Amino acid sequence: MRQQTLRMRTRKDAVIGWAFIAPQMVGFVLFVLLPLFSVFLYSLQEKNLLFGTSSFSGFDNFIALAKDPLFAKSLVNTLIFSAGVVPLNLIFSLLLALYLGGGKSGTRFVRSIIFLPVVTSGVAWAIVWKYLLQGGTAGPVNWFLDLIGIAGPNWLFEKGWAMTSVIVTRVMKNLGMNVLIFMGAVLNMPGDVIEAARIDGARRFTLFFRIKLPLLMPTVMMVTIVTIIGSMRVFDTIKLMTDGGPEGSTMVMVYYIYHQAFRMFDTGFASALAVVLFLIVLALTALQWLGRKRISYYES
Amino acid sequence: MSTHHTKGSVRALALLLVLFLSLSLMFAQGANESAKVQGPVALKIATWTSNPDQIALLNSFVEGFAKEKGLPITATFESIPFAEYNTKLSLELQGSNGPDLFWVLETAAPAFIESGLLAKLNEGMKAYDPEDISADALELWSKGGNVYAIPFSTSPFFILYNKDLFAKAGLKTPEQYVAEGAWNWETFRMVAKTIKDKTGIWGFQTVDGQGYDARVLHNLAPMVRSYGGDFWTDDGQVLINNDASVAAVTLFHSMVFKDASVVPPGNQSDFFAGNAAMTVGQISRVSKLNESSFAWGLAPMPAGPKGESPVIGQAAIGAHSKSKNVALASELVAYMTNKSSVAAMAGIWPPARKSVLESEAFLTSNKSVTAGQMKLAVATSIKSGRVLPSHVKYPQIEVESKMVFDKLWQPNANVKAVLDEVAAVYTKYTK
Repeated sequence: MRQQTLRMRTRKDAVIGWAFIAPQMVGFVLFVLLPLFSVFLYSLQEKNLLFGTSSFSGFDNFIALAKDPLFAKSLVNTLIFSAGVVPLNLIFSLLLALYLGGGKSGTRFVRSIIFLPVVTSGVAWAIVWKYLLQGGTAGPVNWFLDLIGIAGPNWLFEKGWAMTSVIVTRVMKNLGMNVLIFMGAVLNMPGDVIEAARIDGARRFTLFFRIKLPLLMPTVMMVTIVTIIGSMRVFDTIKLMTDGGPEGSTMVMVYYIYHQAFRMFDTGFASALAVVLFLIVLALTALQWLGRKRISYYES
Repeated sequence: MSTHHTKGSVRALALLLVLFLSLSLMFAQGANESAKVQGPVALKIATWTSNPDQIALLNSFVEGFAKEKGLPITATFESIPFAEYNTKLSLELQGSNGPDLFWVLETAAPAFIESGLLAKLNEGMKAYDPEDISADALELWSKGGNVYAIPFSTSPFFILYNKDLFAKAGLKTPEQYVAEGAWNWETFRMVAKTIKDKTGIWGFQTVDGQGYDARVLHNLAPMVRSYGGDFWTDDGQVLINNDASVAAVTLFHSMVFKDASVVPPGNQSDFFAGNAAMTVGQISRVSKLNESSFAWGLAPMPAGPKGESPVIGQAAIGAHSKSKNVALASELVAYMTNKSSVAAMAGIWPPARKSVLESEAFLTSNKSVTAGQMKLAVATSIKSGRVLPSHVKYPQIEVESKMVFDKLWQPNANVKAVLDEVAAVYTKYTK
């Protein structure tokens, strides 16, 4: 009798639980799972957005993709972008979090300034930076450089500088979020461990590399994964600041997917690109997740 | 225990499925009910203008048409930025919420006709004297004897200039050079450089400041063609890398990087704000100068070794073949391009109707422009001008060649080598 009541209560709890997550589940199925399956399906089709035509083509899109020099270029560009964004973001956000977590004066103000770009619209951020980075001395950045005797480049129209510019503006835009996450971890570090290390004679660098960093490693891992995935999905900064140029030097993978789907109208090929990007991100995430135990000693 | 768990999960999933199906049915039911609703016909019209006066003018045609048909029609105008127009429009047209009527760019005409997204307009046009529309103007919008869109604008590009800056630099006006027969690209180059050297203000800004990206063809075409070159031809010849084209593009490249007289790539200096002495415009842009802080004038495009070769920007309006109101939309397209409508638009968008174009009223149709200017820079150019090249693969050509054209916008670019690469892209798609 008691067991039956318990079973009924468990069932009731389960129904209530499912009912609570049902709205989210419906949204997830409709707007995430369904499009995801559609992309896999489209990747096996020759599909044209403008003409509204589609026919099964097997793995033709993947074969074409393997031979496409622009795909290789977009892949390399994505790696360059991530290689620039991820370390810069992690190093600066960690250092800032350690500084701001120290409770020194003026940290609230600095914290607000750093977090301001996060709440700013990505579109507005990119447009303002496009204005600031104008070539010649028309842009405020070059005007300032000119004052100190440096002739600034045409930031967004010269190959190497265009990528550097989008990396730096992207890092500045998203730095605040990681600072906030790291600050939470910094403030939660066990004070007694740090105090004990200090008593044992650990100086600043030893304290950081031997004590604080290992304690922060679970957060570092999580932030690394999120930042890598975010950097591989960059679109708005590229679209608004460089349009993938000059000469395709900032054509990253997500932008190339957009380029193929909505400008060349080749939705099938674009879907194949999206599938490849999905697999790359999945592999990277799995790799980091599996390797976390080797790097992170304090993960619960 | 785990069996109970599994059973519970299965039931919960079944519940979810039922919920999902019920929601789908509810939405489907809602759609059926809304289809039955009787009331005003709502039409959506896509354009690339966001000028409120121009939208109001277009809306007045809808009102006139509604009155003529005795039907309550309401129109919603959707303004899509020019640089994104083809991309967003195609996406909307393939979706379920596409516009019923939409403007079409001349360069995209073959692709849109081929896609089947444009409805045939032959029947709707019959009531409005179709023979009055220039056959040359209709050619691009027709296929196999059917008309798929009607040009409402056949608008030549011309030079808009800042009179104050010309006076400050001690130069004659472009109109005076025209009168002397000396308004050619060499004079244009000299004028631009003199203004930059003497006033510090840029001599020339490319059309809408987009001459290095979205409007690269608009920017280069007047020079290239008046030098005797071209991009590609209807019979599949690629001419962008011949000697004449290379000479013309070299001239422009030198203006940008040697003379430093043209607003360079990435610089946002604007003619309309007084930051450049000349730009390329159309009659529809002139209203932007109504409240300008400087005196201005307009002149035809300069001539090259092969004479003048004005470029005409043609735009047409078509009806969406998949629209619920396709018949009504087709009739509205014909109404919007009838004689009285195009006469009302003539001051903004020069028409393709011969009767309006040849009338005296056309020359005085734009209050900001004198009859003399209208004749010199617009009416004459319409007769001798040509539209930009178009192709069924234009979206692909545009995107891929833009990446190659980017190489041109460097001080040490090898113009011939870059144009050879552009030619290879053109050949890939046009042969």
